[in-house]
Amino acid sequence: MTPQADSDALATMTPTESRRWLSYTALEKIQRTLLLTPGVLLYGIFNFIPLMALFSLSLVKWPGIGPKEFVGLDNFAKVLTQEYYRDQMLNALVQNVIFFIVIIGSFLIIGTGLALLLSFKTWGRKTYQILFFLPYPMAGAAVAYLLDLFVHPRGPLNAFLMQTGLVDNAIPFLGDPDTALITMAMFYTWHRMGFAIMLILSGILAVRTDLLEASMLDGANRWQSIRNVVLPVLGPAFVLITVIVLVDVFNNADYVLLIMGPEAGPLRSTDIMGTFLFRTAFGGNADTTDTNFGLAAAIGLLTALMILPAAIFLALKNLRSS
Amino acid sequence: MDKIFKLNKREQLVVQLIMLAWVVVVLVPFGAAVLNSLKPNVGQVFREPFGLPDPVTWSNFAKAWVNANFAQYFLNSAIISVSSVILVTFCASTTAFVLARMPFRGSTLIFLLFLVGVIIPIRLALAPLFDIVRGLGLLDTLLGVILVQSASMMPVAVFILVSFMKNISTELEEAAKMDGALPFTIYARIIFPLMRPAIATIALLTFVQAWNEYFLPLIFLQSESHYPLTLGLQRFNQQFAIQWHMMFAGILIMMGPTIIAFMLASKQFIAGLTQGGVKE
Repeated sequence: MTPQADSDALATMTPTESRRWLSYTALEKIQRTLLLTPGVLLYGIFNFIPLMALFSLSLVKWPGIGPKEFVGLDNFAKVLTQEYYRDQMLNALVQNVIFFIVIIGSFLIIGTGLALLLSFKTWGRKTYQILFFLPYPMAGAAVAYLLDLFVHPRGPLNAFLMQTGLVDNAIPFLGDPDTALITMAMFYTWHRMGFAIMLILSGILAVRTDLLEASMLDGANRWQSIRNVVLPVLGPAFVLITVIVLVDVFNNADYVLLIMGPEAGPLRSTDIMGTFLFRTAFGGNADTTDTNFGLAAAIGLLTALMILPAAIFLALKNLRSS
Repeated sequence: MDKIFKLNKREQLVVQLIMLAWVVVVLVPFGAAVLNSLKPNVGQVFREPFGLPDPVTWSNFAKAWVNANFAQYFLNSAIISVSSVILVTFCASTTAFVLARMPFRGSTLIFLLFLVGVIIPIRLALAPLFDIVRGLGLLDTLLGVILVQSASMMPVAVFILVSFMKNISTELEEAAKMDGALPFTIYARIIFPLMRPAIATIALLTFVQAWNEYFLPLIFLQSESHYPLTLGLQRFNQQFAIQWHMMFAGILIMMGPTIIAFMLASKQFIAGLTQGGVKE
């Protein structure tokens, strides 16, 4: 801001009133409190208190209506030992891990490759950046239905594969328990790849040019410079992407809920922690009466504990860069 | 340096081919949606998914908009998103102002409590959240969804703003204080204008997130008249699952505003999303 603008801003300030009902300090305190109140109330009531209430709610049996029955650690015991719930939990957890690995694997391999190529003096790289990023701001709902139609047995992808003779029969990507989860992971990858590319690219561009120049002077060729100078510096970007994706896929089950519903078909082959949690709280099929908010809170708490180390890391990272 | 980043003709060609391959992966589903949303019937979609529409039929969009209630869904989405943007930018900026600029006993504690929200996603607490929203009588109201969605954006918004504010010099503020200006005045006249770039980023992120949110409305809304586009599209899918030309039109209507927001502010958008990203 220029000095001129400075003095303008000050000139428009209300002049000190000669007499006040309250001292300056008292007024300052009142106004400070008033400024703080809306944000704290909003966040407190609709975010912080529910998070804290996870603890107390996980100790009761409660179908969501009527009286709560205190059951101590029963809910945790149920999820961890009772066959019906334990098997669902294990299934969801294992599939969630597979889901995560497929996504992070493609992010790191394809994302790093594309980000490296974008860092060269490639023609039209500004345009490529925007195009690659295009799916990111789309709603999960729109992406889910768009890709669902796209990979449908009668959809464009299968039509193309069959017309070109690559396959003889349509592939039921989402209809087959063997491929459904992987296909869901691909949807996620398609949606979020732009973000991964952008993060890795900003890491590459942050490599100090003098480091690169030094490696050139030492006679390193392009690949050697990339491998020995650029890739080691990308560590933080890789860790950051991994953590963001981990936290996201362990609490967000939008694609599965949208396409498969809370039963996570076919045959629960796409069930992940988010759908398991949702089903426990609100029931799966329309005829389910077995809903338990206490159990859902316990599952939420267990999931939170699983992602806590990663989440704390992410928060610290946010803090440090600020 | 040039030796590393400059490509010769042959390398350039190979790189272009790889780039184009990913562009195809990204754009073909969009292209299929546009082509097929303009087809007169589903038969044409199945027979020739990549064929040109014949005749070009705009009425799918009109049908979705009028018959399938998209106008209502669109309005609800707009109300939810705009209200969330106003609420989040106001609440997060006042909170961040006090936390960053007027520390008092307990302000660090409040800051740490906001940190909890950054660490644990609110979706994991859906049972207690549902309980609270119902207890307040806000179940199945737009207000309830607006408050819940805004609250879910608050922690990140507060963090971005606090970190931004720590980089602004305090001179103006101190001068104003010498003149006897109170916090309201300092916030409105000095801090808010200075924070505009960061607030624009937060507003954009909040808008896109609120517009795209599916899970929270799914839990807190029951009547169809309150549905935003995400739930509306799901409803639409139940009715028209087999009418693919209609489905594609509905999907494109849903995508419209965020595509426009992205095109208008792609630079700021990318900067905002990678904020707090890699800084070495």
